[in-house]
Amino acid sequence: MKHIRVEHETKCLYESEVQLAHHLAYLRPFNNAFQEVLDSSLIISPEPDSHFKGLDSFGNQRDFFSFQSAHEYLTVTARCEVLTHELPKERLEAVQLTWEEVRDSLRYASGKEYLPVSEFVFPSAYTPYVEKIKTYALESFTPGRKLTEAAIDLTQRIFKDFKYSPKSTEVNTPVWEAFEQRLGVCQDYSHIMIVGLRSLGLSAKYMSGYLLTRQPEGQKKLRGADASHAWVAMYCPGIPGEWLELDPTNNMVADESHVRLSSGRDFGDVSPLRGVIRGGGEHELEVAVTAEEVTPEAA
Amino acid sequence: MSESAASLPQPVNKDTSFSTEELRVLIAALSAKDQTHQHNEFTDKEGELKQNWIDFFKILGAQQIRKLSESASTVARFIQQNGISYNVYDADQGQSRPWSLNPLPLLIGKEEWTHISRGLAQRAKLLNEVLKDIYGQQTLLQESYLPAALVQGHPGYLRAVHQVKPPGDVYLHIVAFDIARGPEGKWWVIGNRTQAPSGLGYVLENRLIISKLFPEAFRQLRIQHIASSYRRLLDTFTELAKPLAKGETPRFALLTPGPYNETYFEHAYLARYLGLTLVEGADLTVRDQKLYLKTLQGLQPIHGLFRRLDDEFLDPLELKGDSTLGVPGLLQVVRAGNVLIANALGTGFLESPAIQGFLPAISEKLLGEKLLMPSLHSWWCGEQAAWMDVSPQLATQVIKPTYTGSVGPHFQPFIGEHMDDEQLELLRERIALRPEIYTAQSYLQFSQAMTWQNNEFTPRTSMLRIYAMANTDGTWSILPGGMTRISSDDNDMVSIQRGGSTLDTWVSTEEEVDTYSMLPQRVKRSDGLPAQGGFLVSSRTAENLFWLGRYTERAEALTRLAKEALMIASISGEDNVLALQDAISELTIRSGLISAEAPTLSKSPKVFTRTLIASLISKNAASVGFYLNAIDSNLKLVRDRLPSDHSRLASTMRTTLESRLGEQRSVEEKSLIVAVEALDNLGLQLAALTGLQSDRMTRDLGWRMLTIGRLIERLVNLAETLSTFFSNPGALSSRGFEMLIALFDSTITYRTRYQSYQDIDSLVELLIMDDTNPRAILWILKELEQEIHFLPNTDKEIDIYSQLIKSCMPVEGALDVLSFSKRVAHAGKVLSDELSGRYFAHIKEQRFAS
Repeated sequence: MKHIRVEHETKCLYESEVQLAHHLAYLRPFNNAFQEVLDSSLIISPEPDSHFKGLDSFGNQRDFFSFQSAHEYLTVTARCEVLTHELPKERLEAVQLTWEEVRDSLRYASGKEYLPVSEFVFPSAYTPYVEKIKTYALESFTPGRKLTEAAIDLTQRIFKDFKYSPKSTEVNTPVWEAFEQRLGVCQDYSHIMIVGLRSLGLSAKYMSGYLLTRQPEGQKKLRGADASHAWVAMYCPGIPGEWLELDPTNNMVADESHVRLSSGRDFGDVSPLRGVIRGGGEHELEVAVTAEEVTPEAA
Repeated sequence: MSESAASLPQPVNKDTSFSTEELRVLIAALSAKDQTHQHNEFTDKEGELKQNWIDFFKILGAQQIRKLSESASTVARFIQQNGISYNVYDADQGQSRPWSLNPLPLLIGKEEWTHISRGLAQRAKLLNEVLKDIYGQQTLLQESYLPAALVQGHPGYLRAVHQVKPPGDVYLHIVAFDIARGPEGKWWVIGNRTQAPSGLGYVLENRLIISKLFPEAFRQLRIQHIASSYRRLLDTFTELAKPLAKGETPRFALLTPGPYNETYFEHAYLARYLGLTLVEGADLTVRDQKLYLKTLQGLQPIHGLFRRLDDEFLDPLELKGDSTLGVPGLLQVVRAGNVLIANALGTGFLESPAIQGFLPAISEKLLGEKLLMPSLHSWWCGEQAAWMDVSPQLATQVIKPTYTGSVGPHFQPFIGEHMDDEQLELLRERIALRPEIYTAQSYLQFSQAMTWQNNEFTPRTSMLRIYAMANTDGTWSILPGGMTRISSDDNDMVSIQRGGSTLDTWVSTEEEVDTYSMLPQRVKRSDGLPAQGGFLVSSRTAENLFWLGRYTERAEALTRLAKEALMIASISGEDNVLALQDAISELTIRSGLISAEAPTLSKSPKVFTRTLIASLISKNAASVGFYLNAIDSNLKLVRDRLPSDHSRLASTMRTTLESRLGEQRSVEEKSLIVAVEALDNLGLQLAALTGLQSDRMTRDLGWRMLTIGRLIERLVNLAETLSTFFSNPGALSSRGFEMLIALFDSTITYRTRYQSYQDIDSLVELLIMDDTNPRAILWILKELEQEIHFLPNTDKEIDIYSQLIKSCMPVEGALDVLSFSKRVAHAGKVLSDELSGRYFAHIKEQRFAS
């Protein structure tokens, strides 16, 4: 178990005044089988003219806020504290289902039981069907193989075959392009894996959150040096909560270093902060994330 | 609309005695010889003409039947003149094709209609129930009446409105059904449009034209009118939106993607007919989960949107992030229950052909009824059992994409009948790879409708689009009529985009014909209020009208100037003509008629003349042709607010000028006299355009904006003309004097008042100080001052504009014309900038995501 505190600050300095702005933030963590939220807050400056909180259809908390008067900057500071748990190894190993069994349980047939998780079997805007990715994924998903084994194998292959390259892609780079380049960031790694799993008829979600990074011994952690993170959750009956979280960027099953903010079909459903603004001219977004473990003394 | 209808010719005299036998002989003689013997809509089983067609033709009479080709030309001409068009997507942007309408209507008898309308009313009700379930309990998914792949897997299913109840539980306000008749005479549902069904405007236009073409037949066959259906639709909107307008009269707008959409003509037409304000996304704004229209009068609440924009574009904050067509924050307004959207969001998934296969069972579950009208047999290949069933029978199927709309995987439908065994096997393999995106529907040979083409009766494959409209009590009304679409040559494809045509659809009744007309209601409603939107002028429309006023005035001024310049270029040897020529050269350069590099008039009159004529229709940003184009495009943007003849005049002006001056290359050889004639003609057409505006438009704020634009342009132009003349000493020779008066369009007034006596004082009197001459500076200033006061604004702001205008009022006594005119021109420009800054928003929207 870990006690983690995250501060995520987004700053926007506008070149000229913004007259009207609508924003949507997915910056609040949720509870699941591996995470318990202790505290969360969102501080917006300047004070927005309106602010509504609510849940989206996936159960994520989101904040809508807007400005109707001129402003020259925007700062959104999200803070949270969570307790995280690791998936016990023996729980993972206990899952014996083959991937075909799970696939078939998600398939429609007249009169057959409906599983709500089948919502995450279908392509979505950022994760469309890509034939080549299906072929790539099939190498891991050989006939009769255990679902968990095949999925972990795919996670490993993506980690090995792709080069992590922060400037190689942008928020809107299509998944097939990242796949062809064999380059990308955590968002691309996750989208590729999701496309692969779904093309086989499996159910997969996009997870948005943070990762607690380890510091080299004796070095002081730099504030703001962390970043948002993304990984994948795959429907896997037998696992607590029925979703197995896999992190292809770090070649691991998500553990107690992962802090979960929101989950959806792809990045487009849960991007941390977006806005439509009138005016503003050129502007740059500065994002600073600090994730740190709360030691008993500090707590 | 009514004014244009009057221009259709009345039917020719008809011979009354006309036996059925004679009629049959005549029809046979006029029929295409190589007809395929497919089942059709106009003969019975024995191949004899049906009774309703016999009645129809008898009323027409032999003479009019023989003149059907003329009728067809009349229809085409009417469509051309009224600018009824259909934008073609694939072609160059902005290209539009005239709407295509055949002169013959499709006749539907009473009993047949009863069957159709019952069947479709039941289906519309069912579709609404399906939506209620899917966006609520989802029992249809849980009990596997519908596969999740066709709901959650369809891009048209919107999670953003899950659990959101629309006003009155009405998700669908209009449903369009495509139906066709099969070989055994049975009607089948081919598909349904549930998101933003198109065609209601074209249905009206078709009816307007064809009912006037055959008024006797229309009346005697007791054809049901369609206006009441539109009225009822508005009533339903109003009734449903009442609770959310909180005591106010609910206000609706028609949301269009804009002039590049394929059916923009129809959006403008419907908005005008229904009395709704036509808006684009940028005209609307969201504040505190409420929707507002940006108008000259400030933000005005909007309670309902009749939208012709697809879901994904509606809110760039939550949906398609790169959409510039929608309204950021709109979904929050929807979820808060503060706006009615017709049709509701998230209804697009019902358009999938795969849904049709599941409807019979769903109907029994939700309505406890069997479907009255069948759908084509449909197999969604994503269900393994269905794919196994249909796979061996592909030869008799049409394979369509399961996912419709702009985001689904696309392919052209495959028609099994046209494929050989090898091709079918390839198709089978292709489907097996990803079966869920394919839906098979049994191939149906549609019946043919009687049409008139190439001077003969020609049967064409036909499909009917019928509209169901929601009533507030959960029942449905079917618009008695609709749009019959016919194929071009390809007998299997009925598509307007691919060059098909349409027929008006006539439904006869034995009861009294409901002769209700929308036209008076457009102007005044029963409650005495002006029609919806009558008072509201969106900021964008105001801006377009303002520039329409400026461009029209500028085109007029340029036309006059070009003509005078050509006249003076042909004169030489007179006293002082050089000074005058310099003044004219300066004016033509200043106005942009000619470039500064061209030789001046006094240096080389010949080159000057050639350059001037050539530049009239050049692509330059300030040519006469350019301004005519600008007028044309501005007119298109505000066509819902202007008399319908308007856009016709604008396009005629440009084409006439171009044809008179010939192609760009040969222009230089055209003689002076041809150019002068062309300019004279253009001047007349422009006068007709402004005449239409001053005579046909109501004096609402839109009209005020147009007028202010025109006045400001006139003020600046005349002031600059004056200053040019008065800064070129010697330009005011007797000829220069006349020319200046001509440029002010005041020749007649001057002559009647001062005969031929030329005197600077009387010139100043007429062109500056006269407050009865609409071309005098003082008159323009006084008018402007008056118009400014009609603008919605605070006293303080009005005061600023007023002061600006008053500062240039000429004072009695000696007037320094040169400095005065410079001051006036400057003030005019400042006023234009002030108004633009205050009333028109120019700031760009952008978006970001982290």
